[in-house]
Amino acid sequence: MKRKDFLSAIVPLGATLSAMATGRDFIEPDFAAIIPPYLQKGDTIGICCMAGFISFAEIQSSVNKMKEWGFGVKIGKTVGERDFSFGGTDVERLQDLQQMMDDPSIKAIMSARGGYGTVRIIDGLDFKKFALSPKWIIGFSDVTVLHAHLNRNYGIASLHSKMCNSFPDDWKKAEPIQIETINSIRKCLFGEKMQYSAAPNASNKKGFGEGALVGGNLNTLINITGTKSDLVTKDKILFVEDKDEYLYSVDRMFRNLKRTGKLVQLKGLIIGGFKLKPDDPGEDFGRTIQEIVLDIVKEYNYPVCFDFPVGHQKNNFALKYTVKHQLTVSNNSVSLTEVR
Amino acid sequence: MIKIPPYLKKGDTIGITCPAGYLANGKADNCIKTLQQWGFDVMVGKTLDGKSDNYFSGTDEQKLYEFQAMLDDESINAILCGRGGYGVGRIIDQLDFTKFKRKPKWIIGFSDITVLHAHLNSKIKVASLHAPMAGAFNKENEFIESLHKALLGKKTKYTCAINALNKIGSATGELLGGNLSLLVNVIGTPSDINTKNKILFIEDIAEYVYGVDRMMYQLKRSGKLDNLKGLIIGGFTEMKDTERSFGKTVYEAINDIVQEYDYPVCYNFPVSHETENYALKEGCIYTLKVTKKTVTLSE
Repeated sequence: MKRKDFLSAIVPLGATLSAMATGRDFIEPDFAAIIPPYLQKGDTIGICCMAGFISFAEIQSSVNKMKEWGFGVKIGKTVGERDFSFGGTDVERLQDLQQMMDDPSIKAIMSARGGYGTVRIIDGLDFKKFALSPKWIIGFSDVTVLHAHLNRNYGIASLHSKMCNSFPDDWKKAEPIQIETINSIRKCLFGEKMQYSAAPNASNKKGFGEGALVGGNLNTLINITGTKSDLVTKDKILFVEDKDEYLYSVDRMFRNLKRTGKLVQLKGLIIGGFKLKPDDPGEDFGRTIQEIVLDIVKEYNYPVCFDFPVGHQKNNFALKYTVKHQLTVSNNSVSLTEVR
Repeated sequence: MIKIPPYLKKGDTIGITCPAGYLANGKADNCIKTLQQWGFDVMVGKTLDGKSDNYFSGTDEQKLYEFQAMLDDESINAILCGRGGYGVGRIIDQLDFTKFKRKPKWIIGFSDITVLHAHLNSKIKVASLHAPMAGAFNKENEFIESLHKALLGKKTKYTCAINALNKIGSATGELLGGNLSLLVNVIGTPSDINTKNKILFIEDIAEYVYGVDRMMYQLKRSGKLDNLKGLIIGGFTEMKDTERSFGKTVYEAINDIVQEYDYPVCYNFPVSHETENYALKEGCIYTLKVTKKTVTLSE
C-alpha cells in the first residue's frame, strides 16, 4: 500500500471514538509498526517541554551527552520558559513541539521532562507532516499520552525512555545502572536490536508472548481511556509503571484496565516499578501489588513479570513503543527481545 | 426511560451495607437512630460489624453476598451505603440486577458509590440517590433532612450562593454525576455514563489541582462535556497543589476547560464530601437556573 493510501485509510481510526467508548465492538486493523528512521551521527535531536518546565541548567548534562554521542542538539523555545508548573503556556508548548515535528532537519524529539501537560496540547497537534516523515518521540511518564496517541492513530513507533532531567550531572559519580539506562537511549536511536532482562520474581507467571510493545505510566493510560488517544491492547505486550499511588488506587486502575477490556487479549503483561505510597494508618489494603495483579489476571494465560526495569527509577531502559517484541518468562529468567 | 423506584412510607425498611471501605463499629449508630425516628425499620448488614482488620468492610465475597441479598430481599425498600472509600468497582460486575430491575428500590450513597449510580443509570436504567451516608448523620441539618424528603418523594428545590465564575443560563434535563475520580474511572467500562442532554454534577476531595485538570481533560476528550444541558460543580475540598504550583484555583482550572460551552455552569454547589451535600436523584429530571443573583436546582 502506498503511504498516501495508507494515510487515508487510517483517518477513520481516530474517528471511531463512539465505537471505542462503548467498548468491545471495535476492531483495530492489523497494521505493522511504522518505524521512524534510526539516527546517524550528525543528526539533530530537538529538545522541548511537552509538560512541566525546566531550566537550561537542568538540560545541560543531556545536551553534552547527546553531542558526545555525535548528535547535534536543537533547544526549543520552551526550555527555560515557565507558566507556573508548565514549560510555557499551552500555545507555546504546542507551537514548539509542532515546529520540531515539522522541521525536516530534526530527526528526533526529546521531551525535556514529564510532569503534567501533554494532554492539554495533544488535540492541537497536526500530525499530517509527521505521519509522512515520522521521527522518534522520546520520553515517558506524562509523555505516555503521546506514545499511546501515536500507536493508536498512526502506528508510529516511539521511544519510551528517560528524559533530559535524568541525565546524571557528573558521569564519573553516576551509578553503573544510570549509565546503562541512559546508554540504552543511544542504542535505540542508532537502531540496535534491543534485548532486556529482568531478575526472576517468585510471583512471575511463566510463558511466552509476542506482540507490539505498548503501555507506559498507568495513571496516564487510565486517564486517556475513552479518548482518541486510548490504546487498543489486543495481541500486544502491555507494560505499566507508576509512582506515588496508594495500593487501593493501583487496584482501582487495574480494575479499570480489566473492565475496559484491555487485559483480556494481551500477549504478555510487564509490571515495572511502582513506588507506592504507604497505606494510611488503619487503612491497610492487605494485598501486595503482586497479589492485586495476579488476582485480576488469574483467568488469563499470558506471561506476567514483575519489577521489570521500567519506571520512575534509575533502571528505566529505553523501550521501543509499538515495535514488536518477544517476552519470555521462565523460572529463572525474564527476557524481552525486539523482533526484527 | 429511567425507572423511578417507589418512594418510602413509614414502616418501610432501609437496609444498611458497606460495599466498599471499612466502617468502624458504632459509626452508624446515629444514622440508625435517625432513620428509626423517621419511622423506618432498619436492617443492618454484617459488613457494619467492624470486624474487618483491613481497608475493606469485608471480603469481596461478603460484600457482594450482602449487597446482592439486599437487592433481592423484597422486605427491604431502600439500601443505604454505610460509607464510600474504595471497593464497589471490585464487585459491580458480579452483581445480578435481574430481580432489582423488576422491583427497583432506592440505592443511596456517594463517593465510591458513584460507580453504582453510573451503572444503574446507564445499564440498569433505574434512578438512585446521591446523598449523605451513615457516617454523615452526626447532627440534624438540612442536608440529612434533604435525604429524608427525597425518600418520601417530596419534590425538592435547592439554592446555592452565586459564584463569579458561574455561567448564566437555564436548562432542564436528567441529573447525573458524582465523584469526578470515579466518573472518569468508569469511562470505557460497562458502567460508563452517557451524558448527552443531561445535567452533570461533579465533586471531589483531596486531589491535586493538576489531577482535577487532567480528569476534566479526560471528560472533555471522551466527549462527555459536549452535549450537556448544564454542569454543576460541587465541592472540591482539601485540594492539594504541587511544589511547582499549578497557578490556578481548582475552579479556575475547571472554568478554563468548560468556558467554551454554552450551557449554564455553577460552582460550589452543595454537593461534596463535607456537610454540604444535598440529596440528588440521579436519573430524575431537574431544572438548573443560573442567574446573576441566584442558582436554583429544582426537580
